[in-house]
Amino acid sequence: MSQTNISYKQPLLETPFHEKTREKCYAHDWHKWAGYKVVKQYTSAELEYTAIRNTAGVIDITPMHKYSVQGKDAKKFINKLITRNIDNIQPNQVVYALWCNEDGFLVDDGTVFCFDENNFRICSGERNLNWFEDTAIGFDVTIEDISHSIAALAFQGPLSCKILHMLNANKIENLKPFCFDQFTINNQEITISRTGFSGDLGYELWCDPSQAHEVWDALFSFNKDYKILAAGLDALDMVRVEAGFIVVNADLIAAEHALRPNRMRTPYELGLAWMVNLDKEFFTGKEALIKQKNKGVEKKLIGLDVQGDKPAVGSVLYDGSKKEIGIVTTAMWSPTLKSNIAMGYVNKEFIKLGSKILAEIYHPEELEYRKIWAQCKVVKKQFLNLERRNAVPALI
Amino acid sequence: MSKYDVIIIGGGHNGLVCASYLSKKGYKILILEKNEKLGGLVNCASSLNGFSSKILGDLNIKLPKLNYNSYIVALHSEQQHTILQENNNKINFIKSNANEENQKKFSSLINKYKIYASTLSNFMYEVPPRLKSGKSKDTWQLINMGWKIRKLGKKNMREFLRVIGLNIADDLEDNLRDNTLMGLLSHEAILGSNLGPRSPGSILSLLYKQAIQNGLFASEKYDFHQLIPSLEKNCLDQGVEIKNNANVKKIITTNNQATGVILDNEEKIEAGIIISNADPKTTYFDLLGTEPLDTDFIRRAKNIRTKGNIAKLTITLKENPLIINIEKEKMNAKFIYAPDINYIERAFNASKYNKYNENLCFEFHHCVNVIVANIYYVPYVKNNTHDKEKLIQHSINLLKPFISNLEIENAELITPNEIEETYNVMGGHWHHGDFEIDQMLMMRPFYGSAQYTTPIKNLYLCSAGTHPGGGITGINGRNAAKKIIRDKI
Ligand SMILES: Cc1cc2nc3c(=O)[nH]c(=O)nc-3n(C[C@H](O)[C@H](O)[C@H](O)COP(=O)(O)OP(=O)(O)OC[C@H]3O[C@@H](n4cnc5c(N)ncnc54)[C@H](O)[C@@H]3O)c2cc1C
Repeated sequence: MSQTNISYKQPLLETPFHEKTREKCYAHDWHKWAGYKVVKQYTSAELEYTAIRNTAGVIDITPMHKYSVQGKDAKKFINKLITRNIDNIQPNQVVYALWCNEDGFLVDDGTVFCFDENNFRICSGERNLNWFEDTAIGFDVTIEDISHSIAALAFQGPLSCKILHMLNANKIENLKPFCFDQFTINNQEITISRTGFSGDLGYELWCDPSQAHEVWDALFSFNKDYKILAAGLDALDMVRVEAGFIVVNADLIAAEHALRPNRMRTPYELGLAWMVNLDKEFFTGKEALIKQKNKGVEKKLIGLDVQGDKPAVGSVLYDGSKKEIGIVTTAMWSPTLKSNIAMGYVNKEFIKLGSKILAEIYHPEELEYRKIWAQCKVVKKQFLNLERRNAVPALI
Repeated sequence: MSKYDVIIIGGGHNGLVCASYLSKKGYKILILEKNEKLGGLVNCASSLNGFSSKILGDLNIKLPKLNYNSYIVALHSEQQHTILQENNNKINFIKSNANEENQKKFSSLINKYKIYASTLSNFMYEVPPRLKSGKSKDTWQLINMGWKIRKLGKKNMREFLRVIGLNIADDLEDNLRDNTLMGLLSHEAILGSNLGPRSPGSILSLLYKQAIQNGLFASEKYDFHQLIPSLEKNCLDQGVEIKNNANVKKIITTNNQATGVILDNEEKIEAGIIISNADPKTTYFDLLGTEPLDTDFIRRAKNIRTKGNIAKLTITLKENPLIINIEKEKMNAKFIYAPDINYIERAFNASKYNKYNENLCFEFHHCVNVIVANIYYVPYVKNNTHDKEKLIQHSINLLKPFISNLEIENAELITPNEIEETYNVMGGHWHHGDFEIDQMLMMRPFYGSAQYTTPIKNLYLCSAGTHPGGGITGINGRNAAKKIIRDKI
């Protein structure tokens, strides 16, 4: 593994796809992610974004943290860890999950893969081994960090299924959203899940590092006719905002990282109430979440439709009388929606859909800022809802 | 309806005290004790220094007072022992190698500690306030605690706040020259805790102990052997049921509420309130199980430090022992061998790495021809890997130079590991958990579990692991009972 090549001269790890991604990374714009070097932009984020929404994009997500959870109590352990109930989870199913600390504040989110009753995998953006191990005390489970032993690609976009189909991935079009299975492409047996961070039709491909190059090359084998592109993390960030997905440590500070307690957030404040199952016998944070549910939130993460075309990056939000009522966490011009969108926190009086507020935008214009007071309307966080995302059979 | 209102897991002295207070309020109580004998760690102890007279009064128990003057003998390797006498909380020199100036300084140092200790002792009988509760009662109590410290006066308060974080060795070396006296005070500061004389906080541990036991050496006031039988009788008289050889395997909970216990033999007994006299870690991890506990809570419970370091040596001699250079009438003394700060610190250093060196410290009493000694630092080691025969021999070698007629009929030693096994006390720890600033008062046993309560409704703690801490005082049991009575009205 490339891990062994780490030194002071080369302090970041290279993923098994590195040779391939380096070839295409004209911009030489790298991002540090969990000790790895991955591409931020290959050429331009907008171009790569366009590929994800119109053909397909290939994103190296190997640095994602992956934990294997095995043992007699594996399911029981996960049910204690996360806020949802996975009692009815079936093999080959994936669920999106949140886990909270005792005060109900989000520690992280991620996906839980079920291989069988006693064998699960959890993928997450932050490191969680410590939290998992402490949660597992008293349970018959073994938790192992397998991050480095699995190479992973996100393959997202309307043509993703078609290309996998052309690669003879058997009946890939019938794979339901949030399910996974074993498939053979280019003679490599790999795991493919219908999951992703784009809010579009898309898959995630999981393989052994030794298979990485074969898998990568396979995806690009029809590029004479179908222009799919390697996409960087900037493009991925654009599509996830349109889909209304949150990023821990961008839209909120993880409970284990926050220095200031009022920067942590509960699922209710994140608008993720549907992820919390208070009927479950026990999970960490249950008491606190019951209390908050009864009391109601003080502020909440909402979507904003912002007037004009200048992204409200970092804007402070005000009510009609210019009293401060919130802050924007992420903002962008959405090329697909042709609108100026943002996510942010507002006080409880303004969380109703349709509420009118003001954003104070400082738009940079060649060494000067133009200050804009933009009208905003509170809208659903899921700005873009594409039918093809969940269609079965998928588009081929 | 269950037959009992309350089940107390463990018949240690705190469990018995708690039962006595609660039964006075009419609760129907069952005590379940793992061992044949009641008393728990009291069976390891050799003297009754700090049992609360207030509790004896409340429960109307008359323990025979001992009517002799107790001596404290600091043993000296060249038999030039130092002899002190503690009388009505005052310490007199009977014999010492220290010059007059040093003796005076020693006395004034002890007076200083006494003032601070009495400030702390105000807190002992109180349920410590809950941090962050937002209740005005808790806030007031915190302010009140601060006020009591403020009442020391500006100069004393400053000195108090300076000293509580210090290590005892520094303060002693600043004030004294006599090795034996410094060793003696160090011994009192660290005995039972996982500290050396140079560990930060060792002064606080001395003050705290003084505050609980109401005196420095707190020489034996009551007849030790009468305590447990008297408490037992008191319980039985009030209708408390006591079941021996009843090892509780699990606490049963439904909907985050304790409802009963299951014994080793699978017998199930129900009650509305469950009180654990087992140490907090054992209670949470073994008896309750981690399932209904938040991860952060488990983390804090996991981090309580409970590594014991005292082995108990009992030797039966052919005749009553004679100590070289000690007159017969002073033989009821507490004998201490902790000759100087560096000697103690070296013994402590080895224990940090789970080893022991042959130069250990000890204290002992004798009763007729039986010597009962606490030998430290003998660390708790994973998998109980101590070579016991060797350890016994080393311990006897330590005592040998001082006893002129050491003809041994029988010698027994129990290591911290064996204490853990017999009494179900994690790490075999004297106090059910280290006694340091982060594990005291409202932080005892740890944040989120203070005030004798637990996250499980109707499950309470009453052991030495709670505020104010270990030793044979009965205060934990009393405070827990008061808290329960208050909760239930
Ligand atoms: C070697 C040694 C010497 C000591 N010497 C002195 C001394 O000289 N002077 C002094 O003041 N202090 C001394 N101490 C400290 C003192 O003995 C203890 O701090 C005190 O006795 C603790 O009392 P307790 O009632 O809180 O707990 P314990 O005495 O530990 O009582 C707990 C009881 O619960 C029982 N139990 C635990 N789990 C279960 C279960 N699952 N089911 C049923 N029963 C259970 C145990 O058997 C035990 O009887 C000494 C301690 C040690 C280890």
